[in-house]
Amino acid sequence: MQAGTSSGFAFCLFSATFLFLLSISTYSLDLNKFINMSVDIRLAKSRVVGLDVYHGDDPGNIVTPGDIITADTGFMRGHGTYMSEDCLHSSVAGMVERVNKLVSVRPLKTRYNGEIGDVVIGRIIEVSQKKWRVETHSRMDSILMLSSVNLPGGELRRRSEEDEKMMRNYLKEGDLISAEVQNVMSDGCLSLHTRSLKYGKLGQGTLVKVSPSLVLRRKTHFHNLPVGASIILGNNGYIWICPTEHVEAGETGGYETNLQPVSRSEREAIARLRNCVLALADQNVLLFDTSILYTFEASQKYAVKDILKPEVILEVVDLVQQRLELEGS
Amino acid sequence: MAGMELLSDQGFRTDGRKPNELRRIRFKKGVFKQADGSAYLEQGNTKVLAAVYGPHEIRGSKGKALHDKLLINCQYSMATFSTQDRKRRPRGDRKSQEMTMHLKQTFNAVVLTELFPKVQLDIYVEVLQSDGGNYCASVNAATLALIDAGIPMKDYVIACSGSFVKDTPIVDINHLEESTAGAEIIVAVLPRFDQIVFIEMNSRLHEDHLSRVMDQVMNGCKDIFNILNQQVKDELCKKAAIDKLVDAG
Amino acid sequence: MLTNKIFIKKTRLGGVMKIVREHYLRDDISCGSMACVKNCQGLEREPLEESPDSDSSLLRKSHYIIPDTNVVLHQIDVLEDPSIKNVIILQTVLDEIRHRSAPVYKRVTEMISSSQKHFYTYCNEFNMNTYVERKPGESANDRNDRAIRKAVGWYSSHLKDAGVLVLLLTNDVENLKYALSKNLNAYTIYDYVKSLSNKTIVDRLANPLNQSISDKNKVLFAEHLGMAEIQKGIRSGKYLQGTILISRENYLEANVSIRDKDQMVFVQGLQNLNRAVNDDVVVIEILPESEWSCPSSMVLAEDEGKDEEDEENRGLNDSEKLIQNKVPRELRQPTGRVVGIVKRNWRQYCGILQPSILKERTRHLFIPAEKRIPKIRIETRQSDALASKRIIVAIDSWPRNSRYPLGHFVRCLGGVGDKDTENEVLLLEHDVPHSNFSEAVLSFLPKMPWTITEEDLKRRRDLRHLDICSVDPPGCTDIDDALHCRSLSNGNFEVGVHIADVSHFIRPGNALDQEAANRGTTVYLTDKRIDMVPDLLSSNLCSLRSGVNRFAFSVLWEMTPQADIISTDFTKSIIDSKASLTYAEAQLKIDDPNASDNLTKSLRGLNHLAKILKKKRLDNGALSLASTEVRFFVDSETNDPIDVQTKELRETNSMVEEFMLLANIAVAEKILKEFPDNALLRRHPSPPVSNFDPLIKAAASKGFKIDVSSGKGLADSLDKAVVPENPYFNTMLRIMTTRCMMQAVYFCSGMLQPMDYLHYGLATPIYTHFTSPIRRYSDIIAHRLLAVSIGADASYPELLEKTKIQSLCNNLNYRHKMAQYAGRASVNLHTHLFFKTRVQDEQGHVLFVRKNALQILIPKYGLEGTVFLNDEGQKTSSLFVYDEEMNTQTAGNVTIHVFDPVIVQLSIDRSNVQHMKLSLKLVKPEIPGFSVPSVKDTSTLSTQEPVGKSAQKKRKMM
Repeated sequence: MQAGTSSGFAFCLFSATFLFLLSISTYSLDLNKFINMSVDIRLAKSRVVGLDVYHGDDPGNIVTPGDIITADTGFMRGHGTYMSEDCLHSSVAGMVERVNKLVSVRPLKTRYNGEIGDVVIGRIIEVSQKKWRVETHSRMDSILMLSSVNLPGGELRRRSEEDEKMMRNYLKEGDLISAEVQNVMSDGCLSLHTRSLKYGKLGQGTLVKVSPSLVLRRKTHFHNLPVGASIILGNNGYIWICPTEHVEAGETGGYETNLQPVSRSEREAIARLRNCVLALADQNVLLFDTSILYTFEASQKYAVKDILKPEVILEVVDLVQQRLELEGS
Repeated sequence: MAGMELLSDQGFRTDGRKPNELRRIRFKKGVFKQADGSAYLEQGNTKVLAAVYGPHEIRGSKGKALHDKLLINCQYSMATFSTQDRKRRPRGDRKSQEMTMHLKQTFNAVVLTELFPKVQLDIYVEVLQSDGGNYCASVNAATLALIDAGIPMKDYVIACSGSFVKDTPIVDINHLEESTAGAEIIVAVLPRFDQIVFIEMNSRLHEDHLSRVMDQVMNGCKDIFNILNQQVKDELCKKAAIDKLVDAG
Repeated sequence: MLTNKIFIKKTRLGGVMKIVREHYLRDDISCGSMACVKNCQGLEREPLEESPDSDSSLLRKSHYIIPDTNVVLHQIDVLEDPSIKNVIILQTVLDEIRHRSAPVYKRVTEMISSSQKHFYTYCNEFNMNTYVERKPGESANDRNDRAIRKAVGWYSSHLKDAGVLVLLLTNDVENLKYALSKNLNAYTIYDYVKSLSNKTIVDRLANPLNQSISDKNKVLFAEHLGMAEIQKGIRSGKYLQGTILISRENYLEANVSIRDKDQMVFVQGLQNLNRAVNDDVVVIEILPESEWSCPSSMVLAEDEGKDEEDEENRGLNDSEKLIQNKVPRELRQPTGRVVGIVKRNWRQYCGILQPSILKERTRHLFIPAEKRIPKIRIETRQSDALASKRIIVAIDSWPRNSRYPLGHFVRCLGGVGDKDTENEVLLLEHDVPHSNFSEAVLSFLPKMPWTITEEDLKRRRDLRHLDICSVDPPGCTDIDDALHCRSLSNGNFEVGVHIADVSHFIRPGNALDQEAANRGTTVYLTDKRIDMVPDLLSSNLCSLRSGVNRFAFSVLWEMTPQADIISTDFTKSIIDSKASLTYAEAQLKIDDPNASDNLTKSLRGLNHLAKILKKKRLDNGALSLASTEVRFFVDSETNDPIDVQTKELRETNSMVEEFMLLANIAVAEKILKEFPDNALLRRHPSPPVSNFDPLIKAAASKGFKIDVSSGKGLADSLDKAVVPENPYFNTMLRIMTTRCMMQAVYFCSGMLQPMDYLHYGLATPIYTHFTSPIRRYSDIIAHRLLAVSIGADASYPELLEKTKIQSLCNNLNYRHKMAQYAGRASVNLHTHLFFKTRVQDEQGHVLFVRKNALQILIPKYGLEGTVFLNDEGQKTSSLFVYDEEMNTQTAGNVTIHVFDPVIVQLSIDRSNVQHMKLSLKLVKPEIPGFSVPSVKDTSTLSTQEPVGKSAQKKRKMM
């Protein structure tokens, strides 16, 4: 699903013009299956359209750009709002949230707005003087300073010129990392650090990108799920699913990747998790360990490749929602 | 063939609409997975795709960056199959460039650009089928795409066209009316502020008629706004309903 | 409220083009009936009556009629009958009519807008209940028929509870069958009309197309090709498309002007013409060169005396033989034959019934007044009543087995020779729209009593204090110009030309405007005026009569006493004319040394300036050309002319003319500056030098040299060419010069290069018409353009589009030409009436010498006539010898030159009832065997007596 910008454009252009929806589900973990791969193609007509007409009550906190949130001047202006003519207006479409005096509007979908302490997953896009540039789905590239990483050996020491030359050996372009937001600069640029041992370079696994707003802020974003795989829910909407590491690779600081073959059952679990996350994202359900785990369980009756069929998504996610609702009440 | 009668004595336009009636509007937000925001919009037979990327790091030369606000980059193109005669160049011709400029100006006026210094926002608009009112459909689609992308804006920008036939103002004109009627007025407004961000007229119309046509076109904009806003809100409500469950859990 | 249908509209030739257009179907269209109980959101007053009276013996219940397209198209005359009311015109039908026949469309819309006819347009195509989609493989016509049936079906179920029936009238057998099978009330128009109690309406029925095909198998004409074949043939170059123009002299010959090419193809013989009627758009095939022919010099008119059955039996071959003579190779022209007809341009024709031997017969032949139209076979039961009447007939069809086209009687104009009737004929034949203004048109007139509002006063400059007066011919009621002049403190003059502000009352695009645009000009007949705008405007609100406040469009100049213009100003104004003078009255005022009131001063000032202006203009090379205008003195009781006189020209005439020219030029400059692309201007192209050949030759025969290199040279040399002993010589030269000129035409500035804007006759680089908006539509456009350019009025899209303006110009040019012809024909008609009871000798001059004739100008009557030198019947051609070099005719010792004075005898040749001719016979110089004795010399009572008698009769009648 990592198609480039232009091809993604072309794809949808195609679908809109000729009214085809191609949903291709392939799982290439097994070579045999790969050869016998079946492609699921259906016409746009048969697309399950969640009709956009809403029949419920207006929850009252929904605003669209330009809406007046309040004419009361006692409030503080938060994200997604602006002042005009003594009124607080919304500047995005989303839900109004009030924290004490602070009023903000959270849009359904947005780029990642970093906050200090957030766990993020990012991809190295450039190695430059004493720093890496990291793509984190933020509006600007984030920065990982050489000084903010643990170097091999683990000891804290001054960064020497030698280290600068070795930078590409630690992390090179295309590598994925997990990190924490250390600081937010004035222009919105994030600076990251991987000082803790749980952060660092990511090895074998799969990356799923969803909207940042779908990731629920929790105490921990690292989960070793009881299904044989671990998941890192990056606050920036990047989600990393990997086989659970049984041996702590603390000494290397995460710069050595474990290239041991991953067992079939683990790979299947990872693939199922990935599809579950996508299914939840498709239905705009918040992502956290419980919701993912419930989806995983609810999807058991389907083959991995079938989970992303629209009717299956609807059914599975519906089950999950009911279960969450049940437990919530 | 005798000349087309754009407005019959019975008060109907060639496609059966009354002078003040819009064409059918349908749209869908979030049609692209890859883009930050996207929308597909149909106004009658004019069909437009809009995609928004960003805000993101400046691409190309860093010198383009504006130190105090967002750089908006637009691209308007028409698919080769969008018109009656196959187009040679989908973009880059005079008309597309002009349209690109207009879109850029329009959205500079409404996006809260000062919130995003030094970064860039791309708005791509592709006309898939053209049946008059390309600019209007493009603006409306791009507005939806921006909302989809969660880009802060002052208000919706809604564009609508109009013309003047047989002493009657008509709105949301289709290709046939565009090519046969006299002056075409295109207006883009901020519907909740009653502010005009863009206005264009392609031939002469007497000022005495102008206010009547403008009133009608403004009404058309309001109508379009209500349609779009209603659906955007409905979608949000649905999502809010889901969220509430989770929050409770 | 809206549903959406997208459909493939059409494919075009050369590359398939798929056009997709939206089509919204609605559920809010009213049925238009007062009887409706379904409450379909209609207006308060619906056009269809609640319980229309049923007049038909077919069904006694009240009903509405829904005709199909062909019924409306062919039986429009029936529908126009006042006894036909409560008709629903479906949109499908209306659209089809729009495409197929503009005149019928206009008549239908007029009926729809009339409140008496109770016609209603039902938009079935936009209604979701009655819309039908074209099925695959279904032709457009079948689809439309189905749509009509569906609408009828909808109506009958819709109005079921209202107690009103709906009937479909169709002549299509299939359609009728389908409709009946669906339990709809359907009849043919024939059955329906015949069932009506009003029997005269039956005559107005058009002939059914297939009636006579079966009874006789004799096929006279080749079949016309189908549209597909025609298009294929045109593309391959096998066939050519063009408009057919039948020769005036010989109804069996025609020329086809090929479309897009500057080529004429000759067509000869009834077979080759293959049922083409004058003005039809036809497709021809060029014959092999060996069969090429040339126009025969014979004048051939259809004989009138013969019995129709004879002609029927004679078939076609006789007439063919007449022509099939050997044609010398060098004279041969490309010749073709008609293979198909693209578009019929039939209209209604005036004429008379051919007297039939068997009075009881219902089938009759009709002889059109226009010689280029074939006789038409009609059916009527009132032949006795119509025997000596002028009637109007429309052609319905021309089947292959009929020698004549089939038509139907439309209406009777009146007795032959009756002046009103003849006037009507004249108008119809010149295509002058002269029907009364329709209700729709009149509805746009201002409501009386009309008052000037505050708003009007604010927008206009108040010029009521000025001493404005109008100067016109006596009896003029449509006064569209007025003048004033006053001296300013600085010694200069302020001169104003005030033109009636017609554009204030006629708003663009409404029915009144469209009607005026179509009429284009007011047509002046000798005793009648056909107004372009309704009387209320032309003779009242727009007419700048004295003593009332009127709106005007004024042009104001400041001029030096030397008539140099210092400044020009245009403004909408409000004026109060102090006097409506005739030319003679104005002249008297100017000449009267005792008069010194303001008005007279004003007139004197104008006159003074006009003289200077005229001199300047003539110095510039403007031509003053002569044309003779005559004026009839008409008997107030009988309306018969009792005397003729050529119009007199006074100083005041040229005074008014001078300022009108000045205003026109000023306006032309102003609007061209503001609207370089779409100004309506008038140009008069300079004639090619070769046009002047006859003039140069004629002048040379009297020893004068005419310089035609420039307008100025021409004007000067004309001025010099004076022969003292023949005062008419100069006038005649000027008349001849007029003949050499091109036609002045309206045009749109964007369509031509600026150098072509020239007006040759007036020697001005640019000109337009501004000063007579009451009687010319061009002036209304000029007014609107000017109003827009000074910001006094709004523009509208059509005004700014040069193609629209140009097509308007084309219509105006056509109407203008036709109005001129009609005017001349009217003078002719009156001349004929004048000479009906007279035979007179008159002094005349030879204007042209032709190969077989002399053209004579009779100055007293401003008449021009022809003396034929070799009368075909008498075969006396050898008497005269024509000298082409010298341009003379010699008989014995008498030689006739150009400009020679002669005496001719005038009388009316009554050999042809429809076309009476003024015949001239030479009296002096006497030529034995040719000239006739003078009336006075012989004083034969036989010729004198009828005059006396009729005069006596007249007196008795008084």
